[in-house]
Amino acid sequence: MNPTDSFLDPIRDAVLDQRLGELSRELGRHQPPAALEGALVAQFRRARQPARARPRLWWMPPLALAATLGVVSWMVRAPMPAQPAAFALPPAVQSDPGPFLALRPLERIALEPSTTVVATEFPRALLADWGLPVSPDRAGEPVRAEMLYSADGEALAVRLIQ
Amino acid sequence: MNDSPMAPMPPQNPQHELALLAKMKQGDEDAFASLYRRHKDAVYRLALLYSGAPSTAADVTQDAFVFFLTQAQQYDPTRGTLGAWLCGVARNMARKAAGYREMPTDPAELADDALPRESQIERDTPETRLLRSEQAEQVRRALAGIAPHYRDVLILCELSDLSYAEAAQVCNIDIGTVRSRLSRGRAQLAQRLALVRDDGAMEAAS
Repeated sequence: MNPTDSFLDPIRDAVLDQRLGELSRELGRHQPPAALEGALVAQFRRARQPARARPRLWWMPPLALAATLGVVSWMVRAPMPAQPAAFALPPAVQSDPGPFLALRPLERIALEPSTTVVATEFPRALLADWGLPVSPDRAGEPVRAEMLYSADGEALAVRLIQ
Repeated sequence: MNDSPMAPMPPQNPQHELALLAKMKQGDEDAFASLYRRHKDAVYRLALLYSGAPSTAADVTQDAFVFFLTQAQQYDPTRGTLGAWLCGVARNMARKAAGYREMPTDPAELADDALPRESQIERDTPETRLLRSEQAEQVRRALAGIAPHYRDVLILCELSDLSYAEAAQVCNIDIGTVRSRLSRGRAQLAQRLALVRDDGAMEAAS
């Protein structure tokens, strides 16, 4: 302190400096608790800790959720598959009201690129070969029918015309 | 006074300290620890003078450094040293801890023989002896008994080794006010020390 600013005479000023010096020296023996540094450093660490790092496969849960939502959405919006018909008939045949009896698996018939319907007549006894009931009394009678053939001549289905 | 024997403020190397501060802001734990070690004693002793209780001083020190680590951006290096800023933070927290409210200074109190108002004298100083030295303890108690606005500059300039400019910044007053308060504070302290000594003599005589 500048002595010219003092309200005290020089002697009392010097004594006061001495007394303040005693207090300063005594205070110099005091220190904050040693544990304080550790607590503050730990607090600093917590305050500066970046947001927890994402796990390596962090994208899996959102991806699974998106996939699930996509599948569910598709299932809801997609038309229900039609029940398999006896088989898909060619357009020319679709107008006929009578049913065809499949002689081959339906999947096999449905995959045929082109088919032909041929009107024919054959002994009724032939129906037994296809698993249809035949009365022995009428076994010899002819039966009128329409045959569905594949492009290579294989009989695919038959429709009786009565 | 800046030639205080305690010299609690560490020798300042502003560039080094600013480099540490920059590292600390980037998350460098060692930089924070280094800054803490440089200033902990000054902050703690200042808090001890204001509070008169080691436990309160430790709490204030902790709070001041927590404020520092969370609000470091509030420190403006162009306005003073980090040590002075931390002392200001600790001073405010110590005064808050003591429940002290700044009273406006009455010009009449600035007279040479002015005594502090009763309301301005801190009476909550613990009666338990804080310092081992009887002489030092006497000064500490006398210091706790003078008007707070005088005690402020005495603690900051005489016992915390802050410059007048730094004390002015901490107390939010101009340097001229720091000088005048310091003069009057010293006068009051000398007066109270004489009273304390006289009281002690009377007590001893009785």
